[in-house]
Amino acid sequence: MEILIALVRILIYPGLLFVAVGGLLLAGIDRILVAKMQRRVGPPLVQPFYDFFKLMGKETIIPHHANRTAYLAAPVIAVVSLAVTMLFIPLGGFSAVSGTADLIVVLYLLTIPAVCVIVGGSASGSPYAGVGISREMVAMMSYELPLVMVLLAVAKKVGSLSLQAIVAYQFQNGCMLFHWSMIPAAIALLLVIPGEAGVQPFDLAEAETEICEGTLAEYSGAPLGMFELNHAMKIFVLTALFTALFLGGIDTGIVPLNVVITFVICGVLVWLCCSLPHAICARLRIERLFKFYWTIVAGLAALSLVLAWFGL
Amino acid sequence: MFNGLYIHFPVLAVMVLFLGAFLVVIFGTHAKNLRRVIAITAATISFALIYALIKPVMLDGEVISYWMGNWEPISGYALGIGYEIDGLNLFFALLVEATILLSGLYSLRYMERDDYLDRYYTLYLMLSGAVLGLVLTGDLFNMFVMIEIMTFAAVALTAFRNWTAGALEASFKYLVVGSAGSSFVLAGTILIYAQCHTLNMAQISSMLCGSQGLTPTTLLAFGLLFTGYGVKSYIVPFHPTAADAYTAAPTSVSMLFSGMVNKAGVYAMIRMAYVIFQAMGIPAVQTLLVLIGTVTMFVGVTMALAQHDFKRLLAFHSISQIGYVITAIGLGTALGLTSGLFHAMNHTLFKGLLFLCAGAVLYSTGTTSLDKLGGLSKKMPKTTILFLIGAFSISGLPPFNGFASKWMIYQSTYAKAMETNNIGFAFVTIVALVVSVMTLASFIKVTQSVFFGQVTPAAANAKEVPFAMRLPMWIMAIACVLGGVFYDKVLVWLLNPAASAALNVTNYIDKMMGDGYAATAGVQNIEAHGATLSFWNPVMWLILFVVVFFAVGLVVVFGKGTRGKVLEESEGQEIEAKYDSFFGGEKALPSHLGGSDLFWGFKHNWKGYFHFMQRMHSGVVNDYALWAVVGGAFVILYTFVFLR
Repeated sequence: MEILIALVRILIYPGLLFVAVGGLLLAGIDRILVAKMQRRVGPPLVQPFYDFFKLMGKETIIPHHANRTAYLAAPVIAVVSLAVTMLFIPLGGFSAVSGTADLIVVLYLLTIPAVCVIVGGSASGSPYAGVGISREMVAMMSYELPLVMVLLAVAKKVGSLSLQAIVAYQFQNGCMLFHWSMIPAAIALLLVIPGEAGVQPFDLAEAETEICEGTLAEYSGAPLGMFELNHAMKIFVLTALFTALFLGGIDTGIVPLNVVITFVICGVLVWLCCSLPHAICARLRIERLFKFYWTIVAGLAALSLVLAWFGL
Repeated sequence: MFNGLYIHFPVLAVMVLFLGAFLVVIFGTHAKNLRRVIAITAATISFALIYALIKPVMLDGEVISYWMGNWEPISGYALGIGYEIDGLNLFFALLVEATILLSGLYSLRYMERDDYLDRYYTLYLMLSGAVLGLVLTGDLFNMFVMIEIMTFAAVALTAFRNWTAGALEASFKYLVVGSAGSSFVLAGTILIYAQCHTLNMAQISSMLCGSQGLTPTTLLAFGLLFTGYGVKSYIVPFHPTAADAYTAAPTSVSMLFSGMVNKAGVYAMIRMAYVIFQAMGIPAVQTLLVLIGTVTMFVGVTMALAQHDFKRLLAFHSISQIGYVITAIGLGTALGLTSGLFHAMNHTLFKGLLFLCAGAVLYSTGTTSLDKLGGLSKKMPKTTILFLIGAFSISGLPPFNGFASKWMIYQSTYAKAMETNNIGFAFVTIVALVVSVMTLASFIKVTQSVFFGQVTPAAANAKEVPFAMRLPMWIMAIACVLGGVFYDKVLVWLLNPAASAALNVTNYIDKMMGDGYAATAGVQNIEAHGATLSFWNPVMWLILFVVVFFAVGLVVVFGKGTRGKVLEESEGQEIEAKYDSFFGGEKALPSHLGGSDLFWGFKHNWKGYFHFMQRMHSGVVNDYALWAVVGGAFVILYTFVFLR
């Protein structure tokens, strides 16, 4: 029975199916919003679903120089690990799995999709992917520092590394966003989300115009579809993480309603940290990206950490 | 039937290894197979003897004390050499034995193309025996003797392939800096002997911490011993020789170095700081260890990012991971010590695995240069999988063992930060987390440039290594996965006994010197505030594994994929030396070409730091000796300023 429940959690709610559908919906919202800001009509809301299913039916070409196993396994592992990450994030106040220091578990699980993109691209043996890998890795090193600091700042404020405890604290003391000392950390996390999800202006690893989709240059068919899904899911997981960390205190008393509210907040966050920068910013250079994250964003996060340390 | 017999096991385990060394010299000079048989038999017997002690020591919580020649203490003074095995020794002895046996198995095929193998096996057994003796002994001077044997065997083994570039140079550097370290240890031991008139560690512990307290002499001894053991565990600033030695030595020996030689240094530091001086309750000592550990992990990993030789890169990662261990044990909490020990164990497993992978690459291609290799995943698919397991473990990706121990380390540093309200420990947590990401990045570089990509000329004729070489790698890879999934079992069976043994000093003294000895000397156990640790359900992980394997298997087996065709014009053509645009390391550092370096975006922003580091790692032995002396001076100065 325990096994059955665990399987349902991983595969359906709040795991794979839920995150996949939610992520693709958010991707659809994002595309519509970008289109509106660019004065286009934009695709229908369910366009990402069409794209995904179409790709699943297309022929998969494995490049001559590719390592077949790693090439095919990478997208699958990325998707599964994102589904698992969602188990740790409290949705509407409750997470499916909780532990003492699951904040760090989430941090590590969030690196796996990036690693999968890198390994997959690397396994494809393409020089374009090689350049993409280089950028993806430096980008990873860039956003990881502020992300770590944000998480630790929140943990210090609450006094625990457990996400469940963080949400419980917010039920008691109001949302983290309304504690003024945490506002810099929230802004930092908002800036980390586009970097982690790889949307413009931080999409160096997949820069279509320069390096032909970079890490994904050789991908086609179902594996490419999986990577697109991975991208959509990642945005959902990250925005849900933001909601849990900074807006976790919203409680109507009804859990499903809480989940719906969370999803709406995720939609707003997608507009704020994906659509808006996408529509108004041009792509950064890699060393500028690194500098941006290690100075401005890390500085904001450090400010919150120090403030939290002095009990503010 | 064997009741009580096991108290002889530790000393026999050490003797068997030394005996094997002499037998190889006597009988193995010409008999090719006989010397292999002797070496493996000695290693296996020793392995069995030590692993048989898990039950009494780890599970039943016994402490074995053994007096050589039955020279028991007379009226409270220890005269003879004693072996004392508690959970802490045994934990390290288990690591040492596993390393010895696996490295021995690997050597059988790996070293078959070399000459003078009798000398190799002799030195290998000498090194093994010395490290095992160092870990098991309860006598401070005996420890020094073992350190000397260890250093000289290690120096000779470093130079074993003395026709390769840099082997003699590396061994000379090792000799100079290693001797400096041994001298520090000797000086410290002498001072202790002058102060306490005994060399038994249990008795010294009772004297230093009981009635006398720390006098200026013992403080100086603390500084000297700390430096000496620090040199043996290659913490910054004693690390540059390690990088050279690991690179130059045959890979099975590099595995011995990273798997047990530097663990012996770590063990000696734990034994000294926790038991002999009982200094871990003092905040200044904690700060010293955590500071050095943090610097070590950061310097190690940033230097590793700049490397373009497989083994040298692994060597710098060894240094970096030891930094984690030192940081964790320096916290002085039960959780910190446990996580440090866990990471030491995991480091032995995954770094051994990675070194053996590097050895396999060297065996089948003849080079470890990242610039020349490429596309080996098609030629050596099994090694590739093994390497990926090792790389994910060291980078701390769940669910491998590196994740479990790093996760505990972050928890312990952050718990310490919240407990003491000291923002410095939060900074340490941040550094540790960022270093982990950099570790990941640097292993992706190896994956990309050695195993994936297009096949380079150097790799064109590579073949998968024989099964006898893959066997030890598989054992370690499986241990990496099991250690990550069932880490709660590891915690209960191995780590908790080891950590509580280190904290239970009175028991250590009483078992050696007679009951009640500690109480009369006024020794008390260290108060360690351990945060309680709860686990998540490993069943969850198992299910996850099944799901992932099922999904991946489904895709890989049934995923229909057509192989892309090679374009007409490139067929038959010699492929260019990869896309030589984005590889490079230290030598490419000053280049302004963005594309020539995988980490350009990172290094560009840190160019001051990297230029400084490049200047510091000059390769000149005088500089390295100077570093060692300056490091020693710093530690002694620190001891006198903050510990008085």
